Amino acid sequence: MKKRVSLIVLATTVMVSVLSACGDSGSSAGTAGKGESGSAQSKTLRFATWDTGDALKIEQDIAKKFETEHPGTKVQVEAYADGFDQKLAAGFGAANPPDVMYMWDFPTYHQSLEPLDSYADKDNDLKIDDFYKGLFNYGKIDGKLYGIPAGFTTRVVYYNKKLFDAAGVPYPKDGWTWDEFQAIAQKLSDKSKKQYGFGVRAENDTYDLQGFVWSNGSSFISPDGKTIDGYMNSKETAESIQMFGDMVKNGSAVLTGGKGQQSGDDIFKAGKIAMWESGIWPLESFKQAGIDVGTVEMPAFPGKPVKGVLAESALSIAKDSKQKDLAWEFVKFYVGGESIKMRVADLPVRQSVVTELKKDQDPLYKPFYTMLERSSDTPAFLLNPKWNEVNRQLSAAVEAVMHGSNAQEVLNQAVKDSERYLK
Amino acid sequence: MKFQWLQQQYRRVLSGSYRSIRTKLLICFLIVTLIPLLSLGALSYYQSAKIINSQFGKYGENAVAQLQQQTGSSLSRMKQMSETIYSYLLDPARTDLGSKTPVTYNEIIEKNDFEALLKSLRTDLTAGIYILTPSGYYYGESNLDVGKLEHIPAWKDKPASYQGTYWLGFYMQDHAMSSAGSVSEPVLGLAVPIHNPGGAQDGSTILIEENAQELLHMFRLFEEDTKAHLTIKAPDGRIVYKSASAFTPKDSDIVWDRTLAVSQWTIEARLPAKAFYLSSGIIRSNTILVAILSCLLAFGLAYIFSSHFTARIRSLKDSMQKVSFGKLDTRMPVEGRDELGSLDMSFNRMVSGVQTLVQEVEQSERLKKEAELKAFHYQINPHLLFNTLNSIQWKARLQGAEDIRQMLYHLTMVLEGNLDISQELITLGRELRMIEHFLKIQEIRYGCVFRYDLRCGEELKQYLIPRMTLQPLFENIFFHGFTDGVGIIELEVRESGEELLLTLKDDGAGITAEKLARLFVPGAKRQGRGGLGVQNADQKFKLHFGPQYGLTVHSTKGEGTEILIRWPKKEERSDGNSQEN
Repeated sequence: MKKRVSLIVLATTVMVSVLSACGDSGSSAGTAGKGESGSAQSKTLRFATWDTGDALKIEQDIAKKFETEHPGTKVQVEAYADGFDQKLAAGFGAANPPDVMYMWDFPTYHQSLEPLDSYADKDNDLKIDDFYKGLFNYGKIDGKLYGIPAGFTTRVVYYNKKLFDAAGVPYPKDGWTWDEFQAIAQKLSDKSKKQYGFGVRAENDTYDLQGFVWSNGSSFISPDGKTIDGYMNSKETAESIQMFGDMVKNGSAVLTGGKGQQSGDDIFKAGKIAMWESGIWPLESFKQAGIDVGTVEMPAFPGKPVKGVLAESALSIAKDSKQKDLAWEFVKFYVGGESIKMRVADLPVRQSVVTELKKDQDPLYKPFYTMLERSSDTPAFLLNPKWNEVNRQLSAAVEAVMHGSNAQEVLNQAVKDSERYLK
Repeated sequence: MKFQWLQQQYRRVLSGSYRSIRTKLLICFLIVTLIPLLSLGALSYYQSAKIINSQFGKYGENAVAQLQQQTGSSLSRMKQMSETIYSYLLDPARTDLGSKTPVTYNEIIEKNDFEALLKSLRTDLTAGIYILTPSGYYYGESNLDVGKLEHIPAWKDKPASYQGTYWLGFYMQDHAMSSAGSVSEPVLGLAVPIHNPGGAQDGSTILIEENAQELLHMFRLFEEDTKAHLTIKAPDGRIVYKSASAFTPKDSDIVWDRTLAVSQWTIEARLPAKAFYLSSGIIRSNTILVAILSCLLAFGLAYIFSSHFTARIRSLKDSMQKVSFGKLDTRMPVEGRDELGSLDMSFNRMVSGVQTLVQEVEQSERLKKEAELKAFHYQINPHLLFNTLNSIQWKARLQGAEDIRQMLYHLTMVLEGNLDISQELITLGRELRMIEHFLKIQEIRYGCVFRYDLRCGEELKQYLIPRMTLQPLFENIFFHGFTDGVGIIELEVRESGEELLLTLKDDGAGITAEKLARLFVPGAKRQGRGGLGVQNADQKFKLHFGPQYGLTVHSTKGEGTEILIRWPKKEERSDGNSQEN
């Protein structure tokens, strides 16, 4: 699931405009930090991240900036990369965790994290109203806030304008349906050219599929988080997943990312699939690959509202941290306007920054914000702490569907196998 | 030929310049410095070379052992991993793990469980864990392009029916699905074919790859450190790793080798003997260089010292030569207070002694010569003088000028005594008789105005006195002491043991103290003739009897002068020569 939040650098043009606009809201964090810096003399703050490459570089730059504004503080950026979960779990187990860390899986870790409500409430510098509504929901467990949103993305459909033009198919527009989507996919598939209308992931992250399930009026788990039978294996759920299996079967979509298969991003970049569904991350690489790419919001099931799923990364403070005040300063700095502008690899969490950069006016970005407005449902993992176990069966079922199994049957089986975890 | 040349050199060394003190000093110096220097140098070279060689040898051994240990730990980790996977697959419950792409729900559950195990086996160094089925499907992370496995050299060569662990060695991992973005890394590979008839995954192959960057880096460090050539060989002779540098093995190479227990690989580090002994060679050349420099320094110092030393000796020799040629004013500059300095000083003293002596001899010779010359001059024609005087005397008698005849008589007697130079020493009596004649002349000149008291025992008159010594003193009295011949002269001769003491006293004008002081200084400027008689008389006594004898003058201005003469008793012998009593 980390893949969802692993970040790719955004347009350099954005970066330039961001850098030139630096330095207003960051100053508030700076002045607030002055009272702290005295007691924080030559203290080292550990900050764990799962990012690598360019995204990591940006995070190190932010840490350096924090150091200059807080003399006597050293921020040690610990890049755990693939081993994030193991190393973090080991850190918590040894009561020696990093002070601040990236976080998304709050149900698993919230017991080791410091509740941040008191910090957020009494610190006006945070400007909590500036954040997009709903982002805070992801960091809350049992009504307590454990993470401050740092970045997020929603999911949209990318399309290759060149392939649409070649086939004489008009570009998809917001408000389109899954039927239209399948028809377009069919039209844009050409087996002789090994060209397909759509790419289906062989091994899906079930989290990402929730948008489709919600759009079809269902969900994986009951709103109270206690029941899966009738939700995970409902007709609507099965239908929305079966759709992709069928597309693979009828040749309008190709399996991607499995054993011996190229990733969907790579195939889209190679111009061999016309449409691809993903978050913000590959956008920059598509542009770099020379693809004339467009974005559109997710299709709708007839008569039902389109729902989106939000992938969010947040910052948390460890309960065992010995310098929580300093950690809070860092968190606040990290989600401040200045830092957000530096972090071009995911979407800004503050409305003021989006307005300032006119991101919501850019046709390529606009669908992401439209989808954000549609991301009101709560993901399954937040509803039940045992979701990870259930998810194993669900993942296997979804994978089986993509390989041709009947969705209703395998979902029934998965529900049967998973029931015991919920008791 | 060579022998002759040597002999020639030997002779040259013994003869001529080689026998000089300088050469001896030089040789001495060189021997004194060279023997300890060379022996010390050689000793320190052998000692340090020995230590360094043994330490370097040990270092190499240890380094290779460390390589073995590191490589071994990688290999055994991989092997253990493969064994874990193997035993998991041997479990009959895993039969569902097929060799085809899992498509059913159950197959996928099994696959997911298996891949979860593979994931849990991963360490930081793991680069890949895959189980490749005969169908081309594989278990593991979905980033493997099976077709690209052919890029691994050892993978192609793997015998189809191989059993057990098959080590693929080092290679670049470039079998990723998407070529973009992923940098290929060096890995160490292990392939384990699975033999599980009737069970899961029979005929599949476990492929385990571990990042070898650190290992290869260590190899390179080792190569750089020791300049050794590293080879790792599989037991079947396949070369697993080889240093990049070109190398030809030689028998003289220093070899460190180890065998890896896990894979039976042999790690062999070969170091050319030249490189191995390089550091001790550097010590040797440094030692030789220092020795040569020290020799040159010693030689230079010895040269400077000895040339300084011998130059002083030579200048002393030159000075001696000069002296021998008669340059008696030659002196050595005295440099330093060492033995040579004191030699210089003694030389100077000696030469100045010789010079004084020579001057004295010269002086007395000159005086004698002068006296002889004078005497010769006076002797020219005394007979003419006496005959003339006698004729005048006769004329005076004939004309009845008795007083003139008297004066001439006395003058003749005085002159006879003066001009008779046949004898230098005459008896005191004779000298006193001549004084009588002289006084008679003065009496005739001035009249009976002075008094002359002589006190001399008859027996003393036989002793000898230099001729013409008393008369000049009397002349002085009349010329300088008395005015118009008025005064009293007292002459007394006494004997005192073996010596005679003569006292001549007058009550004349006396001599001033400063004139008295100048009286005996030879060559001092005189006023008139005064004093010459005193000095002459003194010298005569000294010449005849020795420097300890002679005159002493006491005088007080206005009260008179007293002259004391002291000389040894000497009697006239019958044969006419003087004989000491």
